[in-house]
This record gives sequence, structure tokens and C-alpha cells, in this order.
Amino acid sequence: MKIHIEILDKLKEQISATVSGYYKSLKDCKYLDLRLGISEFRSASSENGKAKGVRDDCDLSFGIRVIAGGMPSWGFYGQSLGKNDLKSREIARLIKSGVNTAYERAIANAKKKSEFKEVADSLTGVRLAEVEVCQETVPAEFEIDPRKITLQKILGMSMDVSKQMKALDASVRFTAVEITTGITRELFCSSEGAKIDQSFPLTQGVIYVSAQKEESSPEVYYDYVGDLKGWEVIEGENVYNLSLLDFALERTRDTIELSGAEFLKTSEKEEVVVTDPHFNTLLVHEIIGHPTEEDRVLKMETAYAGRSWLFYNLNENQIGNQIASPLVNAFSDPTMMGYGHYKYDSEGTPARRVNLIENGILKGFLNGRETAAVLGHEPNGSMRATDPSLVPLVRMTNAAFGPGEKTPEDIIKEVRDGYYVVNHRIPSISESRENFRISAQKVYKIENGNLTRLYRGGGIMANSKDFLMSIDAVGNDFKLYPVPNCGKGQPMQIMRVGNGGPTLRGRARVTGC
Amino acid sequence: MIRIEDLRTSVEVALEYIKGKKDVIDVEVFASWNEKITVRLNYTSDIPCNGVQEPKSIHSYGLGVFAAFKTRNRIEVGFGSVTGDLTQEGVLEALMKAKRSRVYDPDFKALPEPADKPTLEDYHDNCVMEISVEDTVNLGWEALGGSLNTFTNGGYVKSIIVGGDITILKERMVIKSTRGINDFDESTILTANITSMIEKENVKGTGWDISTHLASFKPEEAGKEAALGAIRTIGGKRIESGKHNVIFGSQPLTDIALHVLIPSLNLISVNASNTPFLGMLGQTISSYNLNIYDDGSIKGEIGSKRVTCEGLPTGRTDLISSGILVGFLANNYFAKKFTNNLYSPVPRNGFRSSTGGRQYKMKASISPTNVIIEGNNETSKEELLNQVNDGVYIGRIWYTYPINGLAMGDFTSTIIADSFSIKNGRICDPLKPNTIRINTNIKGILNNIIGITKEKRSTLVWGSEEVVIAPEIAVSNVQLDNIAGFLD
Repeated sequence: MKIHIEILDKLKEQISATVSGYYKSLKDCKYLDLRLGISEFRSASSENGKAKGVRDDCDLSFGIRVIAGGMPSWGFYGQSLGKNDLKSREIARLIKSGVNTAYERAIANAKKKSEFKEVADSLTGVRLAEVEVCQETVPAEFEIDPRKITLQKILGMSMDVSKQMKALDASVRFTAVEITTGITRELFCSSEGAKIDQSFPLTQGVIYVSAQKEESSPEVYYDYVGDLKGWEVIEGENVYNLSLLDFALERTRDTIELSGAEFLKTSEKEEVVVTDPHFNTLLVHEIIGHPTEEDRVLKMETAYAGRSWLFYNLNENQIGNQIASPLVNAFSDPTMMGYGHYKYDSEGTPARRVNLIENGILKGFLNGRETAAVLGHEPNGSMRATDPSLVPLVRMTNAAFGPGEKTPEDIIKEVRDGYYVVNHRIPSISESRENFRISAQKVYKIENGNLTRLYRGGGIMANSKDFLMSIDAVGNDFKLYPVPNCGKGQPMQIMRVGNGGPTLRGRARVTGC
Repeated sequence: MIRIEDLRTSVEVALEYIKGKKDVIDVEVFASWNEKITVRLNYTSDIPCNGVQEPKSIHSYGLGVFAAFKTRNRIEVGFGSVTGDLTQEGVLEALMKAKRSRVYDPDFKALPEPADKPTLEDYHDNCVMEISVEDTVNLGWEALGGSLNTFTNGGYVKSIIVGGDITILKERMVIKSTRGINDFDESTILTANITSMIEKENVKGTGWDISTHLASFKPEEAGKEAALGAIRTIGGKRIESGKHNVIFGSQPLTDIALHVLIPSLNLISVNASNTPFLGMLGQTISSYNLNIYDDGSIKGEIGSKRVTCEGLPTGRTDLISSGILVGFLANNYFAKKFTNNLYSPVPRNGFRSSTGGRQYKMKASISPTNVIIEGNNETSKEELLNQVNDGVYIGRIWYTYPINGLAMGDFTSTIIADSFSIKNGRICDPLKPNTIRINTNIKGILNNIIGITKEKRSTLVWGSEEVVIAPEIAVSNVQLDNIAGFLD
């Protein structure tokens, strides 16, 4: 018998009661929360038109956070679950066992923290900023139920798309397509009385193509369509307004053309660059989204994903400073549809839009309850985990540059000599996000307002602030794209976020091979 | 905790049960139990903090069934798994999932068959398997103490950051198949990865320690090393943009190897036409001096395993030998797909690696184990510095990516710590961190090697489970670009 998300209907009251009842029995326990998630999904993959695999399965897991001890400290526990674990007695036993482990860790950690406090006076007890305690059920919304799509249909679609991609040209050496569709339901309960039951669908198609002409290097590209919606995403209800097949064929044609294109050379000096919304998706992700995450701001990611040049210390930081041209606005908004959409974050905090940059001035950061308490900020609901067995981290949601007024055509027409940078590929960002190099799928030379030549292997490189300050045109063509693979944390968590913006024009060095 | 005996019993019962099914031609049953504990550090002297931010763990067990079914006139294969259930009911559920998900894959040839005998025996540490909550938490505070004491002794108490983690991975797996595979493995891994900064001086140091046994694990030393690295680089200076002769220390060499080079020497990349070395097997791709191989059977190294997740013995796979491309990392599926008259890859790298250990929920992919980089003519570090004479010593890089895709070979990265200029064959002024971006190509690196040290260090980088046993190598003509001038 398969597990369905509806099983939570039977369990959620019991789980909530177990959490609140057991919490009261723990000495010196200040806070406890539990997340339990069930994800039902179907997926299929194929290469060159041949089937590679299908899955019709579900993932279950839970995670517990505890704050306990004389000098309050964190302890966590996470576990994958199976069908039998959801039997009433068993789930209660597992929750209590998990709470015990997290609690023991918190107590042991608090004891050592007290000992170290004598030599390290910045050590402090964990404090969470106050939030509204909510109880709500949020159902999944879709047009075509992912669970009604048969495996045969998903596999057939995957094989057909990869086959048609491969058949486009003899230079296409390899194609791959993977399609996933499903629904996830997550329960959040806390010792404060929160009980939030959220469901969301997710449908995604990934395409990969490699093309090679003669002795040149293979040109490789991969991209995604996806949204928190049902199967309608694959049929064309996505940011591209293209079915997966049409999207895949368009990307394959691009790759074929690029495989015979000239390689771009790195410029010695800055050039005028017009960047399209798809390229700006990765740009905003790396130089606005990440450095405004408050755990980075507070140096908590120094060993991993880095710090933020926007915040040196409590007295010296860029809040209220002009860090971009007055034309630039940026935000992170989980209330709009996209991969970063939700109603409550993984701490049960109601989601809300955060204006990060207004008219070029840095306005705020994305936070969780702990980092908000440290900085005296109001929690804005930006904590998420890849699945409930992992701890929530501060994450950008739908982070994007705001729209302007010019048409992209006019922005290009005004350029006498420059480059048009189209579709993002891969980023490399410096430690505090103060400098970036990001590659593009395509770069066109702009001469007297016209696109005159296509290059491969190109991108741009700049100091983040210099580039943001140089922006002199912002388009009216706002788009939000899915980014399914943002890595952060230890152990590494891969998170889906939404990113985007309109066309921008600024100055940067163009980079090549 | 699930005992290895319980996993073995479950797999044996499962195989007996499934092989009696009429439509099953061949089947492989894999069961595993994993626990990954992470103790993350976050100390900031000028911002309220926790010191040890969070002791945490993820834990899972279950089994996976990969079966070949006779369907009409062809063979179809399917995979299914079940979590938290090693009973016959669980086996049946996994089998039903495998059956439901079966497809005709013309590239599937056959399940793995037994090969040589594994060489590693009993190499895990029961003290790690049974480590207490208190001892786990203490390891984190020991690492932090190592850094803080070193800073305090040096007179640095403000503007201090210490981050990183202690990670403990416990893994148990059993595999048995109708093709005669029948093996098991137990492993324990301890790692400490520490980063320390004196932020007002804009200096950062890193330290690490790795072990398979608790008794030889020294997180405090990693903390000390990180703090000393930061202190040593106070007063860093910028260098001019341009082509430089550089020495890559073991950390940057590992970063480049794991993010650019080794993914390019993998049959998955060959299959996807996504490597700069496509069609170059048997050809010279680097300096004659360079040898690179993967070996998962080295005792005491944390990348070592007794058997792969396909039940085959681990061992040595030569990748580059005296500058010639001689092989690719392989699992059973791709080894069989790419075997021809001239090349017969040995599947020594079929692993089900995931965030939390050896994962029963997935089929075997390809992962490196211990990657060894060595030279035919190895030198001392002093000789290497003399060979470079004037240049740059790079001790830590960050965010290394194949910026134009693996197939192009281009990569970029920034220098963030532990780095110095080299003048007249000696280590000289420290480099100012976060002011230099490397912009180069892996083929250029491989072909411009000046020298390779004899001394090597087992090295880990964030986001990778694999180890590189890395020397320091000198390379000529590496493009370095000055960046982030607006922060001066």
C-alpha cells in the first residue's frame, strides 16, 4: 500500500499533542519544534530518446529542534521515515526518542558553553525573536493533479523530448531529459502552540544537451522549466510560456548554433553590457540574494558559503547606504508564485516581502528568529530546509531585481558599442560576494544598437558594487525563473528558489575562454 | 542503530524471497544504515554567538532492490527502495516499486559479478560507532578551544571569527545478488574543517584534521592551525594582475581536482560528452611528470571502503600516468557500456553517495574515493620554491567552478587565505585575501607543471566527501586578476 499525503490528516493532532505534552516534561527546555514532511512524486529520465529510469515513490522525514540548558543552546535530530513509522504508536515513540537526543545535545552544549563563557564573553544563550503563533492548513493548488499523471505518460514525454532534441542535428551528441511531478505536505508544530500544515505541488523538467562540431570543444547546456504547480507546467504554464518540448528544442537549437560560434575573448577593460532577465536571475541570486541572508551577515557561514560585504560589524555596515544606482530596486518575496513561494517558513513565521534595495539604497536583510533577535530586527520568515530532517537555514525566497520602464529593445538600441549577455550558466563569486564572474549561454556583440555577432564561452566579471552603481537602464520585462539547486549549509542542502528581474544595462569586463 | 548482522539477515532473506519470483531474472539487494553527526561552530568575538552553534544528526536505514525482469521478449530493469523496514513486507514493497518502475534500457548489460577479494578488513572504529552525546559535543568545543587559545596567546581577542564543523559519519552496508555478489562494509569517518579570521586585519586561516579512528582524531590541532594561518598572513598586500608562476598548496589543488579535474575523468561525463578529454584516451594531456589515480583501498584514509556499493572490491584506478590519459572512474553500468577491444574499465567507483552516507534509496553512481596526485620526479618544498623563484604561493581558494562548463576546461576561483608572494625562491609577503581571482583552464594547468612536491597531505574541501592526497605543485603562466578594489 502506498503512502499518501492524506495520512497526515489522521496524525497531525496526535503529533502536535505529543510535542506539546513531551516538551513540558523536559527540565530546562525553553523551546521545541518539530517538522514532519511527506513528499509523493513520480519521475522519469531518458537519454537520447532511450528510457533510463522511472520512480513512483514517496519520501518521509522528520526533524526536531530543541533549545535547552542553563545557558540556552541548540540541539537537533533528523531522521528519514518509512511507512511503518507512521503507525500511531511508532510515530509517538520516534518523536520522543528524537526529542530526547536533541535535548541531550542541547544540554551538553549548554554546559560547555557556560564553561567557555569565562574566556569568550560573546557567548550567549539562544534567544528567538517573537512571532505570531499560527495554526493554519494551506492546501496545494494546481490545475492538473500531479498524482493523476501516469508513469507511462511521464516516461513517454521524457523519451519523446530527448529523442526530438537528438534528432535536430548531427552535431547533437547527447541529450537527457528528467521530469518530476508531485506534492509535498509539511507539518510544523512548536512548544509555543504553532500548528501549520502546508502542502504544495512541484513540477519540473530538466533538459541537457551537448553538441560538437568538428574538432571544437563540445558545447553543453542545461536548463529547467518548473514551478510550484501541477502538470500544467510541462504543458506550457511556466515562465517561458513554452511546453517542455518546445523549450527543449529551442535550447537545443541554440546549442547547435553555439557549437559552431566563435569563442569570446576576455576584454582588457570594462564594456557596456546589457544583461537579459535569465542572466540576471543568477546575478541577483549571487550578489543580492546571498549577501542579504542574515546568517552570512552575522559571519555564521564564514567557513562555507562566505560572509557579506554589506555588513562588517554592528556599527559599520551598508544599511541605509547607496550600494547601487538609484534605478535599482531588489526584493525577496515568498508571497508571489515561484520556486521561493510559501505562506509560512520552516519556523512557522508568516512569510512576507522584504525590500532589500530601494532606489539603490540597502534597506534590510533576510532573517530567521535567532538572527533577528541578535540584530533586533523583526522576523521576516526566511528560514527553510531542503527536507524536515535537516535544520532550517536563512534562504532567499523569490529574490529579484524590480522592474523599470524601458523596453529591452530600447536598452539595446541605445548602445553604440557593447555586448548583450543572454541566459546564465555558472557563477563563481568571491568570499564576501564583493566580486563575481558569471558565464552566459550566449553573448552577442552590439554595434550601433544592433546585435551583430554571436559568441560562445562568454560572460561578465565585475566588482559587485561597481556593477550595481553602473546600471543606467532597467527594463520593463520582469521575469521570475526557477533555480532548483542552490547549495548552502553543512551538510550541504540543495534548495529551490525563485530569481529574476528585468533587462539591465551596466558596465563590466566581458570574459571568455 | 542497526547492527550489520541485522542488515545481512535481511538481505539474505530478501534475496531468497525475490529470486523465487518467476519474472525476475537477476536481482541485487542493498541494505544500509547511516548516521551523520555534524557539530557546527560559530564563534564571533564582537557579535553575540553560540560558539558551538548546533550539534545535529541525520539518520536513515532501509534497503533497495535492483532487479532485471523478463518482460515479453526483452529484459527490463527497475529499482525500488523502502525506508525503516527490513522485514519481508518491506522487501516486497521495494520489489513492487522496482517492478512498477521497470524500463527497457538498452545500455544495461548485466549486474556486477564477483571480482578480486577486498583488501581492507575491520577498519572502522567501534568507539566512533558508539560515541556519546557529550563526547560528540566536546569535539566541537575542542576545535574552538584550539583556535581561541592560539588567538589569545598571540594577543588577539577582538574581531575574531571561528567557523567550520566536526563531522562524524557512520556507515554500514550489505549487498547480495543472484550473480554471486555477497559482501558487507562498515566504516567510520571523522573530519574537522576549521576556518578562523581576525576580521579587522582581513586575514583568514584554515585547518583540518581527518581520521577513521577517534583516538587519532585531533580537532584542537585543526583549530590551532586555522588560527596560526590567520595570524601568519597579517599585513597582506595586493599583487598586479597578469600571468604568474604559482604554487598551488594542497587545499587549492584539492579544490581544483574535485571541482574540475576529477569530474572530467569520470565515465558519466564521457557518456554525456561533457569533458575536455573526450576522445583523448591514450593521448598526452599533461606534463610527463604527473600521475593521478584513485585508490579506495588505502588503509587509514577516510575515502577508503572495503567494497563499493555494487559489492566489488575497491582498488587502484589509474587516470593519468606520466602525462597520458589512461582511464576513467567507472561503475558497473558504465564500465560495461564503454568496454571495447581497446579499453576495459574496471568498476571500482560505483557508490551510492549522498549527504547522509551510503544511500539505499538510490542506484550506484560514480564517486571518487582517495585521489592521489604524485610526480615522477618529486621535490622538496624548498626546491619547488627555488624552481618558481618569483611568483605566488596559493594556500586556499574558494568557489572553484568550471565557469564555461566542464567540457571547455575553463575555471575560475578566488584566493581567500593562507597565501604569499614568492621572491628569490622564498616565501615572502602575505597576499591580501579576497583580492585575486584566478582565471585559467585545466588543460593549461596540466601542461604547465614546473614541479611536484614529495610531501603530501590528505585534504578535504567543503561540499565533497572525497579525499585528495595532495602534494603542492608549481605551475607557470597562471592568469591572476586583481579584484574588489572598491573595498580598499
